[in-house]
Amino acid sequence: MEWSIGESGVRYIAKLSDSEGTLSLTELTRDGHEAPHSEIGITRDSQGARLLVDIDGSAHIAHVAKVGDDWWIHINGRIHVVHGHEPGSADSTAGEGGLTAPMPGTILEVHAKAGQRVREGQTLLVMEAMKMEHRIQAPKAGEVLSVNFAEGDRVDMGATLVELGD
Amino acid sequence: MTSAPRPFDTVLVANRGEIAVRVLRAAKESGLRGVAVYSDPDEGSLHVENADQAVHLPGTTLADTYLNGDAIIEAARSTGAQAIHPGFGFLSERADFANAVKSAGLIWIGPPAAAIDTMGDKISARRCMIESGVPVIPGEEISIGGDSDHLGVLASAAARVGYPLLLKASAGGGGKGMRSVHEPKMLRTEYEAAAREATAAFGDGTVYVERLLKGARHVEIQVLADSQGNCIHLNERDCSLQRRHQKVIEEAPSPAVTPTIREAMGEAAVQAAKAVDYEGAGTVEFLLSDRGEFFFLEMNTRLQVEHPVTEMITGIDIVQKQFEVAAGLPLGLSQSDIGITGHSMEARIYAEDPSKGFLPAIGDLAMWRAPAGPGIRVDTGVREGDAVTVDFDPMLAKLIVHAPTRTAAARRLDNALSDLRALGVITNIGFLRQMTTHPDFISGGITTDYLDSRDISDFAEPDPDPAILVAIAAAASRFGLDRAGSGSSESFVDEHTGHSGDPFRTLTRSFP
Repeated sequence: MEWSIGESGVRYIAKLSDSEGTLSLTELTRDGHEAPHSEIGITRDSQGARLLVDIDGSAHIAHVAKVGDDWWIHINGRIHVVHGHEPGSADSTAGEGGLTAPMPGTILEVHAKAGQRVREGQTLLVMEAMKMEHRIQAPKAGEVLSVNFAEGDRVDMGATLVELGD
Repeated sequence: MTSAPRPFDTVLVANRGEIAVRVLRAAKESGLRGVAVYSDPDEGSLHVENADQAVHLPGTTLADTYLNGDAIIEAARSTGAQAIHPGFGFLSERADFANAVKSAGLIWIGPPAAAIDTMGDKISARRCMIESGVPVIPGEEISIGGDSDHLGVLASAAARVGYPLLLKASAGGGGKGMRSVHEPKMLRTEYEAAAREATAAFGDGTVYVERLLKGARHVEIQVLADSQGNCIHLNERDCSLQRRHQKVIEEAPSPAVTPTIREAMGEAAVQAAKAVDYEGAGTVEFLLSDRGEFFFLEMNTRLQVEHPVTEMITGIDIVQKQFEVAAGLPLGLSQSDIGITGHSMEARIYAEDPSKGFLPAIGDLAMWRAPAGPGIRVDTGVREGDAVTVDFDPMLAKLIVHAPTRTAAARRLDNALSDLRALGVITNIGFLRQMTTHPDFISGGITTDYLDSRDISDFAEPDPDPAILVAIAAAASRFGLDRAGSGSSESFVDEHTGHSGDPFRTLTRSFP
């Protein structure tokens, strides 16, 4: 499994070794390159969704919940979301995240059509969600492969609005 | 002005979510039966669980359900409820509903309809306050004739109002034809610019000149009045930390209010309430300038979201007092009984994403564990497993703390926020933690324009260590802790969001 954190598109892979129920982090790769990391050992607590996390010799407790492919993690008073990806899969949440509907809503304006070349940051669509306008912008320069909705269409959260190629 | 006791033993709460839970619990503690109403999406929600009886309101829109006065009065009749508590929002400030409740022979737990009417209209409220001697923001409306000495008329009005001031075309709007003037010599230039900007608006010849209050704080006074003419105040709340007029953190007492200001503002609030023959709990909002002057803003003729901070420092349950007043009982309190013990703060927990312009967030609360401990109170309408949808307001809960001092309260709030484990839905908890620990907040110098004049990235959370998070995610997968995925037997799970079922359905429990 590959992982990314929050909005960042950086992909991580963690290698763990199992020693009597403690999983230790033996290798961390960051976009294919080995990255330095702390000494981390994780054991399962008797409580369902709780993990005991030892970081460089100090003990911490993490509470976790899985929603879809994401792990939601509460540790040290902060909440984080770690997205799981099949190895080698396209980045569906971060890199092209702007191309999916962030909320259920209505398409107000369409500014792109199939075959058009767009530059990074160009507004492709404007949608209204919960009384707020939201601009859907190109995350990178490329060619619009398809625009899946028209003005006035209602869209569900997560619906792919525009497909963008290189 | 006396009235006979009007006892009741059953109260219907015409609301939902956090405030319905709050009122239903207070009813139980007052020995009353509680009746809830609910629309389809709220079937099985926490407020229904907290009621002795619940009545379903059929229909799909708010007009069919929580705003349907006739259906709610009928629900009270059919369940034997003799009184209706409106909570806040929905029908709470609708004078016609208050009258309908009374006409149906039921008790309205709220102020007289006339008080709602007078205070609900900005112009009539301002007129009423001027007549009763409550300070309002200095301002006057002047007529400027086509060929008369309009600058002379304007200048004398401006001198009476005081600088800095705001020029507004009374028929204008949306910021058009509105200019701020900081000193007399700029009056002519700014007036001409404003007139150019909104020719049509100024065409009717009416200009409103109002004092411009910069760097002001939002300070409000909680009042309680009974049907026998007793009216007291429960001190102030400071709600200066706002984002686009939405309050973020409220506290009591206000760090900017001295005993002298408190006494004067409290007296003005009581005067305001008496001017409309107020009954029950209400809030008089003021703007407090950096010079210690305060001006009436508006009166909220209902319970307010932030009422708990006042309860914490005074030890008075405001909702129970509402019940007593509605039952015709005297307040049983005089102004000298009201003190201030310690300091209280309330943080509003919203399902919203601060990094995306506070876009409301939806999803399932895969984990919802509220903090507990001395001086911590959580008023919430959600439970673990509930779905957060676009149907209703995105406020999930209010986290309230009470501590001996303001510094201790801020630290307790930060600790409680860090213990609030809300997983599955993006919330503003991290942003609130950045706020409560920010030097500008700690110093107590926040004004109402603070957040809107800041770059929100100033309050971004510190970057996490990716190794720790990735190791935890990988380990949790290896241990098979994905209980949310396996525990749900919903037929449809949105792959993108992990959200089960129709996103327009709400508060259905989808986890065991």
